Amino acid sequence: MSIIDSLLYHWNVNILSHSLLRLNIWLRAEISRASWKSKYLAPPLKISWLNKDLVTRHWLRGHYANQRHKVAWVTSGAPTELLKALDYFIVYPENHAAICGTARVAVDIMSVAEEAGYSQDICSYARTDFGTLLSGKTPVGKLPRPDLLLACTNICQTVLFWYRVLARHFNIPLIVIDTPFVYHSEATEHALQFVLRQLEQAIPVAEQVAGKSLQERKLKEVGRLSKMATELWLEIIERNQHQPAPISVIDQFIQMAPIVEMRGDAETVDFYAAMLKEVDERIANGIGAVKGEKKRLLWDNLPIWYRLRYLAEFLGENGVAIVASTYTNAWGELARYYDVERGLESLALACIYVILNRSTGHKLKTMQRMIEEYHLDGVILHSDRSCKPYSIGQMDQRDRLIREFEKPALLLEADHNDFRCFAEQQVANRLAAFVEMLER
Amino acid sequence: MTAENAVLIPRRSEVASAFKQQGGLVAAVLPIHYPRALLLAFNILPMEVWGPPRVDVSLGSAHLQPYVCSVVRNALSFILGGGLDVADLIMVPHACDSLQGLGSILLDFLPPKQPVIPFYLPRGGSQQGEVFFAEELRFLYQRLEEIAGISPSNETIMKSIQWEEVADELLARLHKQRGRLQFKDHDFYRLIRTREYLPAEDFIDIAQSIFDADYEGQQEGIPIILSGIVPEPMGLLKTISEFGARVVADDLACCGRRLYPAGRSEDPFFRMAERILGGPPDWCRGSPIQDRLDHLHRMIDATDARGVIFYNVKFCEPELFDLPDLRQGLGDLGVPTVSIEVDISDPLSSQATTRIEAFFEMIR
Ligand code: SF4
Ligand code: SF4
Repeated sequence: MSIIDSLLYHWNVNILSHSLLRLNIWLRAEISRASWKSKYLAPPLKISWLNKDLVTRHWLRGHYANQRHKVAWVTSGAPTELLKALDYFIVYPENHAAICGTARVAVDIMSVAEEAGYSQDICSYARTDFGTLLSGKTPVGKLPRPDLLLACTNICQTVLFWYRVLARHFNIPLIVIDTPFVYHSEATEHALQFVLRQLEQAIPVAEQVAGKSLQERKLKEVGRLSKMATELWLEIIERNQHQPAPISVIDQFIQMAPIVEMRGDAETVDFYAAMLKEVDERIANGIGAVKGEKKRLLWDNLPIWYRLRYLAEFLGENGVAIVASTYTNAWGELARYYDVERGLESLALACIYVILNRSTGHKLKTMQRMIEEYHLDGVILHSDRSCKPYSIGQMDQRDRLIREFEKPALLLEADHNDFRCFAEQQVANRLAAFVEMLER
Repeated sequence: MTAENAVLIPRRSEVASAFKQQGGLVAAVLPIHYPRALLLAFNILPMEVWGPPRVDVSLGSAHLQPYVCSVVRNALSFILGGGLDVADLIMVPHACDSLQGLGSILLDFLPPKQPVIPFYLPRGGSQQGEVFFAEELRFLYQRLEEIAGISPSNETIMKSIQWEEVADELLARLHKQRGRLQFKDHDFYRLIRTREYLPAEDFIDIAQSIFDADYEGQQEGIPIILSGIVPEPMGLLKTISEFGARVVADDLACCGRRLYPAGRSEDPFFRMAERILGGPPDWCRGSPIQDRLDHLHRMIDATDARGVIFYNVKFCEPELFDLPDLRQGLGDLGVPTVSIEVDISDPLSSQATTRIEAFFEMIR
């Protein structure tokens, strides 16, 4: 990159666009808070504008990333610390797809992929990603072209199928970190060794593409920041054990972008530290996410990105708050595995023990624990049509929750990104009946 | 005399009870890849369960959402309905998210009377994968030891592997020479699918008898290739014949993708691992899509096939992800393709039949 390009980049990303963006986001957030009218929900967190700022700046950097960095596209459970330490700019296609879902443009984008032959039966994140690839359509301006792909099978096998398509499309190296599924309570020693060896082998590939060597000091620093952010995130979500819950899970869905996308950055740590402070202020002032909270729920599975507000308001109107979720918890519960001093070994543990890589019984136990710790009255299990790994097992989990834990549990049919799978009237009826049952 | 008359295809249930009468055990094995030789070294007969079609699916539907494929739904229904009571254990290899889920709910929520043994097949094709898989097979050995109460030596396992290698070599020959055998597709697939439940020695006898009979014929019909998971409902094969076409090679998970090469290692566990991981390209082992495409292309070159039918199980994501690239890649080479989606419980729909007919009209 020439000096002029460098200056231009700095001017665009860090000064002009960023200042304008920041001002714009801050103003909009303040106006939205000032004009907040919901009788049932607390106004958005003050920190929200900073989240938007972080995320927007991330995508703004992405716009120019190919000029300055090597770019890696990675899956959400992947050990990105390795790539961060090698100065890759990291893109999570799942996160990008979720942004498309929230902005309600995902179906328009994924229909391009469907026209190209991708079935409506495959993961709607993947379809959204393929749609962007084929059409260039995206609400974030532009996705930087990847130089490297990193797929970790700890969330599903689907990502491997998805990234094989990407590898062919871009004709670039694909690193696969394969994490044997943990059917029983512990992973076997040979499975852990397998993951560790793959991490070791991934390094030279990533170094070669990056054109530089991995510095242990840098990896430790990224690992330390990752751990700090993860611990803060866990603390924030655990604050919801308090009654009334200071933030809802819907807030968490929105505020979790940096922990997924920018883990390992110092500003992510600062952001969550500030968020924790605000959450504590809410607790001190007796502010609950739902005004007059009467019932508290657990959410299982991915968010329904295109109907977050609807769900929050529908339930809030009835004094129901969703206060805990297996999904947002997944990014916090791994904090205990990160151990900077144990390096790759601890990364291997964090990779293999992701909730989606563990048994259906383990998920039920997690739900049971959360029901107790968060004093919950019921559970909504989002039966997500195009996310099989998270959804299979839910019918029996629901039955056990009802029979053994005597908690009302609702299986809600939808899809994380495809609103064509969301039957508005049917959902409203089922939610209304469920709320009624909670009140009994 | 035709080959059809020469071969008496034994039924699964008869084979299982005969094996048990001789003191053996039976393992019900779900798709796709697993170490047949290891089970047989323990005197356990693997009996594969690809669905099966024609079961009361309501039993599985009480535990699985409607968007789960029929192979998994039917398998669960079959287990819950007592269809696998003959089995002494149920083995669930890890192949896809749905089979992973099935294995997990059988272990956690719906334990059948038999022990359930899952195991993991590594992806990505690295050498580390082979090391891991050999270890995973040793781990499996310990589970089987507990169940069967015997501890076969390395020598016994090696002998079992050698039988499997001979059987697989004959299976590959049958695949290759199918055009010379006087089998219609339906009968050919009934024959080769006996590999899903016959001990290697019995399969070898049958295959050998076919080659010994020295048929010299040449099948007529438009040559096509079949790709997918399993040729169920098998009505498809009859339809293909009725329209004057024939399958000259396949890329089916239950058939062509399991033509494992002979191993080289002297260590039986490594040898089983290298055989399974060294099979034809397959998403299940993480092979790149281009490898699958090259493989299909080689098959087309070798057989002069005029088109490819992708016969997919509804909701089978792994196949669905590869499909557009495979069709596009073949299209670029001038090879026409058609994609048919089925639920293995249902007969072939008239719509599917019409599409197949139109496809044959086009490539005739
Ligand atoms: S299948 Fe589920 S876990 Fe996998 S990428 Fe899609 S949404 Fe995520
Ligand atoms: S048909 Fe496809 S989705 Fe179903 S079990 Fe087989 S590979 Fe898995």
